[in-house]
Amino acid sequence: MKHSFRGLIALASSLIALALMAGCDTNTRMSTFDTKGPIAEAQLGIFMITIWVCLFIFVVVGAVYIVAMFKFRERENDDRPLPVQSHGNPLIEIGLIGASILLLVIIAVPTLRAIWYTHDFPVTEESKLGVWYQGEGLSAAEEDKPLTIRVEGYQWWWGFAYPQLGITSANELIIPAGKAIRLELRSKDVIHSFWLPRIAGKVDLIPGRSNGMWIQAGDSIEDWQEKSGATGSDEELRGAYALYLQEEIHNYYYGQCAEYCGDSHARMLFRASVVSDDDFASWVSEIKTGHQAPDDMAWEDWYAANDESPEELTGDINEGLQLFMSRGKCATCHQVNGNPRAVGVAGPNLTKVASRLSVAAGWLNHRAEDGSVDVEQQYANFFKWIKDPDTVKPGNLMWKANGGGIGELDELLTDDEIHKISLYLQTLK
Amino acid sequence: MSSTLTKPTAPTTPATHVHALKPEKSYLGLRRPDHSKSVIIDWMTTVDHKKIGIMYGALALFFLLVGGLEAMIIRAQLIVPENDLVSAQRYNQLFTMHGTTMIFLAIMPLNAAFFNFLVPLQIGARDVAFPRMNSFSLWAFIAGAFVLNFSWLLQAFSELGWFTASGPTAGMTDFVPGMGWFGYAPLTERQFTGVGTDFWIMGLQILGIASLSAAMNFIATIINMRAPGMKMMRLPVFTWMTLIVSLLIVFAFPAITVALGQLMFDRMFDTSFFQVAQGGQPILWQHLFWIFGHPEVYILVLPAMGIVSEVLPTFSKKPLFGYSIVVFSGAVIGFLGFAVWSHHMFTTGLGKVATAAFSLLTMAIAVPTGVKIFNWIGTLWGGRVRFDAPMIFSVGFIWMFMMGGFSGIMHSAAPADAQQQDSYFVIAHFHYVAIGGILLASISGLYFWLPKILGKMWTGKLSTWVAILSTIGLNVAFFPMHFLGLIGMPRRTHTYLSGFGWDGYNMVCSIGAFILGFAVLLFVVDIVLLMTKGKPAGNDPWNARTLEWATTSPPRSYNFARIPIIPARDALWEHKHGAENRKITYVEEGSQGIHMPSQSWMPLVTCFGFVPLGLGVCLMQAGVAYMGYVAIGGLVIIALGATLWAIEGPGGYHIHPQEDEI
Repeated sequence: MKHSFRGLIALASSLIALALMAGCDTNTRMSTFDTKGPIAEAQLGIFMITIWVCLFIFVVVGAVYIVAMFKFRERENDDRPLPVQSHGNPLIEIGLIGASILLLVIIAVPTLRAIWYTHDFPVTEESKLGVWYQGEGLSAAEEDKPLTIRVEGYQWWWGFAYPQLGITSANELIIPAGKAIRLELRSKDVIHSFWLPRIAGKVDLIPGRSNGMWIQAGDSIEDWQEKSGATGSDEELRGAYALYLQEEIHNYYYGQCAEYCGDSHARMLFRASVVSDDDFASWVSEIKTGHQAPDDMAWEDWYAANDESPEELTGDINEGLQLFMSRGKCATCHQVNGNPRAVGVAGPNLTKVASRLSVAAGWLNHRAEDGSVDVEQQYANFFKWIKDPDTVKPGNLMWKANGGGIGELDELLTDDEIHKISLYLQTLK
Repeated sequence: MSSTLTKPTAPTTPATHVHALKPEKSYLGLRRPDHSKSVIIDWMTTVDHKKIGIMYGALALFFLLVGGLEAMIIRAQLIVPENDLVSAQRYNQLFTMHGTTMIFLAIMPLNAAFFNFLVPLQIGARDVAFPRMNSFSLWAFIAGAFVLNFSWLLQAFSELGWFTASGPTAGMTDFVPGMGWFGYAPLTERQFTGVGTDFWIMGLQILGIASLSAAMNFIATIINMRAPGMKMMRLPVFTWMTLIVSLLIVFAFPAITVALGQLMFDRMFDTSFFQVAQGGQPILWQHLFWIFGHPEVYILVLPAMGIVSEVLPTFSKKPLFGYSIVVFSGAVIGFLGFAVWSHHMFTTGLGKVATAAFSLLTMAIAVPTGVKIFNWIGTLWGGRVRFDAPMIFSVGFIWMFMMGGFSGIMHSAAPADAQQQDSYFVIAHFHYVAIGGILLASISGLYFWLPKILGKMWTGKLSTWVAILSTIGLNVAFFPMHFLGLIGMPRRTHTYLSGFGWDGYNMVCSIGAFILGFAVLLFVVDIVLLMTKGKPAGNDPWNARTLEWATTSPPRSYNFARIPIIPARDALWEHKHGAENRKITYVEEGSQGIHMPSQSWMPLVTCFGFVPLGLGVCLMQAGVAYMGYVAIGGLVIIALGATLWAIEGPGGYHIHPQEDEI
């Protein structure tokens, strides 16, 4: 008897200690408690309802349970006659079944509402591309539609395509704040799952079919107004709303593949930058334009020079680009917008790769405290990734791909060559 | 029914005394190996449900330790961020084999051990309905376990450079299954994973045969072999749960059998069930797998509920509260278990209506589960609760299983599940169910029944330490995982970056896992102490309620000297404490004595064929020469064994117990 109490006390105290420890650390990078969008918020709302209902049951049933164990325990030298041999009580049973059903209804009704809410794309005026997107490249047919991003899963990286705007990026998703965005989820090999915990729960990327979800970073202006209770003229409200987005929503968010997808599943991360409408438009335009050849040359001139006498293109950057295009075979799989001969599609698009804050699908990070690129760390990360991709991301195709990987070159890239390629990549800002 | 049992069922030479028996020869002159002087041959050819149960139990405990060791390595790898104790590939193989081992090689055979040993005793029968088929189930299980784990040997050879895959899986270096225990297509296709997946397919397929044949045997046994008076509503709850679980196995396993067959065809013959490039549908695998997989959860947990439903009344000195509702809710759980499979797939884009339907059905399953918990507490209420070792674990079971139930309710709300799915929250959930529920109940059952099984009583108080340490270990290991999942850590990741707030939690979880591992080792020590130092247990050491306690510990080969006539539910308890008209009486034995089934080599021979069949198919995929012939050889052995089984003759002999035996 006293032994089991000792166990219970130890159990209870360890649980309390853990709960306390847990309470202090939920504002983390991928916390589902620290929501920044209506979907994650709705999901958290449902979760909290289940928590309260379960906590209620736990306390009531647990209390009865403890009382039962304590009150009806056998005493020392217990010589009382046998307890009453009762077989149950139908009324109590039916009552408890009824109460259980009632408690479940408390969960079920908001659950159904949230299922519909998270599935149905909200058709709002302010999410239409034509209303907020002032940049280039938008056809008239798309103006009444919301922004659609095609998320493509690969072992083990992410492709993000913006078909309406005609651009492609990888591993770091850039989205405007406060807009409902449609995601089209596809996979090119095995099943992956798109999870950006602070903005939305996950939806799977399944090969052979296209899944859909909608996400939104930050509240729409109506929801924000309702929650904050802000009043004022239309202009004042818009100003305050923009401020809210800037201060609370514009940020760098962390996501990860949530469906086991093979060897390096643990290293299939991604990032999402939530930016203002203007920043988004200028990012799109920079991606579209792409990069110049080194030394501000036009690409035709650079290739002409390279084809004629490659040794005359000197300097680490030029040599890095030469390695990128030829010996390193990088351009077989990678695309760099602007460069007419770097048009590979098997690997991530490297346009503006030096502006991204991580490399190797989020595994190697070079984001400084202030949110800018830590240039030294970036160089180190590029170098490490190109030097030894199979250690950074075991099993990946950059190292071995049926003869096409850099691990399968007749002569592996030397440190000096990797140094030059890294320096070239750092110019892709 | 009882009358057929007490008379010889086959034309045999009447024997007057047990020692005068001669093993009978069959039409082909095959000898059935009765009364072998060799202990090993005796156990290899046994058809005694008790010996088969003990072998199931011993192997289950062995694989519990194997799966536990895999878990310890997993937690050691995750104890700090960016750890490189094991490689990504090895880690993935470890968690795949941990899950597969624990489910198919530890919990299921442990349940089978309880079924085997207890069900015939609880219903007053002398054996199961098909004794040789029972032996077949055991050896098929062993063959499946061997084929599955043979993959480790191949992996070791590959690491040592003694073996490389060629042929269909040339260049692949994964020889141990590494695609997760639910093997989602298309990761299981030949394009993505190597021979490990073939070992997984063949191993599971053979284990499925073992489970199916055992399940049919138990259904036939429980329906047909009950002692007179043992009406269905007088069955012990554990036997009821065995019946429900056996029905679940019969209905659920065909789904995975078909799915594994399709996958095997995809891999061997390039069919297109799940291959996207050829128009296959990977999502089909998930539906087929979970139509099996969710009932499987109840296949694992209902026996645990049965154990607890036996232990609680015994140690409360009071009948189970609401027997019929407990039985009925078990059946409802089993039935609803087939209607909730897609709650494993809330994130696959089922659409609103299907998501809503599966969400509501999943919530509905909480009602019969809750009913059971209420009834268990109702059993304690008004009783005289004695906290012996089995009771401590059953009491802990209710508490911990309830915790697992709560997180289950949280998953049923699909929008909340969108965040929890495939995160550590899910890991926390099913380990509370699997360890807090199934393992604690199984330990409770072992503390309860091992004195009956081995005839010896527990010594000392090690059980208290096992209870304390396992409960602390379980909670320290898995409670923080709820938070870990909710702050974004996905499951099945071999490592993680620092800076996400996960480091501290992982450290705590690993420490908890090591405590839990130590507790399981202590339990094994306690069993060894029982076997070496235990004093004779007596027939009824716990003042228990059901029929198995009415016979000797350990029970003799024929279980009951005379077949009991059952006057009431909780027959032994009523016999001891009930009214005069509720005492157990006995069927008059005829002069021919007890008819016992003969032992047989044939189940073992038949199952031996599974080994070359399984290994042959797998090694063929690895490009080893002549393995197709080995596989065909396996099929030939199976056919031969089954044929000889059919014609080896009915066998059987008679035993005449002493007058005063019970």
